[in-house]
Amino acid sequence: MNTETPNDPAREAFVDARLADLRRESALLAPPAALEGALLAKFRREQRPARRPLLWWMPPLALAATIALVSWMIRGPLPPMKTQVQAAQSIPASATPSDDAPFLALRPLERIALEPGTTVVATEFPRALLADWGLPVSPDRAGEPVRAEMLYSADGEALAVRLIN
Amino acid sequence: MAMPPQDPRAEHALLARMKRGDEEAFLALYRRHKDAVYRFALLYSGSAAVAADVTQDTFVHLITQPGQFDPTRGSVGAWLCGVARNLARKHFAGREDATDPALLADDGHAHQAHVDPETPLDRVLRSESAEQVRRAIAAIAPHYRDVLVLCEISGMSYAEAAQTCGIDIGTVRSRLSRARAQLAQRLADYASPAHGAAKEAV
Repeated sequence: MNTETPNDPAREAFVDARLADLRRESALLAPPAALEGALLAKFRREQRPARRPLLWWMPPLALAATIALVSWMIRGPLPPMKTQVQAAQSIPASATPSDDAPFLALRPLERIALEPGTTVVATEFPRALLADWGLPVSPDRAGEPVRAEMLYSADGEALAVRLIN
Repeated sequence: MAMPPQDPRAEHALLARMKRGDEEAFLALYRRHKDAVYRFALLYSGSAAVAADVTQDTFVHLITQPGQFDPTRGSVGAWLCGVARNLARKHFAGREDATDPALLADDGHAHQAHVDPETPLDRVLRSESAEQVRRAIAAIAPHYRDVLVLCEISGMSYAEAAQTCGIDIGTVRSRLSRARAQLAQRLADYASPAHGAAKEAV
């Protein structure tokens, strides 16, 4: 049968016959019937998608908050003044002040650019003051107050102004 | 009792479906191979309880690690029997002696050190003759035993047995030859009057 070198034909025939007995008998053997159900249950458990944890939204929320915080820290709470002041130079004096208006330089740009510590302060002053900075002012509204943001140097000198309304 | 011929493409398709979560495909694979795996485990271990555990663990392995099957290396059936063989060997790891082929005697008789003396010998077959053969197989060296069971009882080809045991075909041939010689010797011992007298004395 499967022997490599059958030395003794009688012995080989004897072994073959006895193995045939075992083959016949073992053909009746089968694993316990309950095994199929147990394995099927295991298969279903394995295929079930992992359940979403109750607080699944916490990690992405924390990540978004961290990114926002780091971004704010890198950019800083103040707008980059130099760029805005430079932009103000191109605005004609007759431009209408608005909320998103740029800062108008009150001092030379080089001096403002070299200023080490600046502060922006929201304030209100008579509209007539605009005439001192070369801006057009209607005589009948000269007494009205105007809201603005002032850029001050560290020693309190007004460097630039932005009209809010 | 040869293993039923399986179309490898159909087997691989079933396996692919099973991997995608197809329950019917898993059941089809289980029903195709459960008996061969169980018989191998039973004849290897000599214990119905161990064989049931090994069969269960083998198919759990199929469920959890289907990617380990390499279609270029053989059939699903041979791979499953290889898993069962490893699990059964692990089960008896503390009780079996080393089976390094270099240590084997070349005279066709297993050295006593290579015979597992604690292989369970619960009666599992109704036929006295078949039961005697099963006990004789359980008493031969484990590395001869698995080749004998795979080729002679499970009906595997030499190539499939080689894949299952992780050895080359030439080694399968030589081990099978020695296994048959050991089996013949043990069956002759059982048949001798001295063995019967010793059994009665016990």
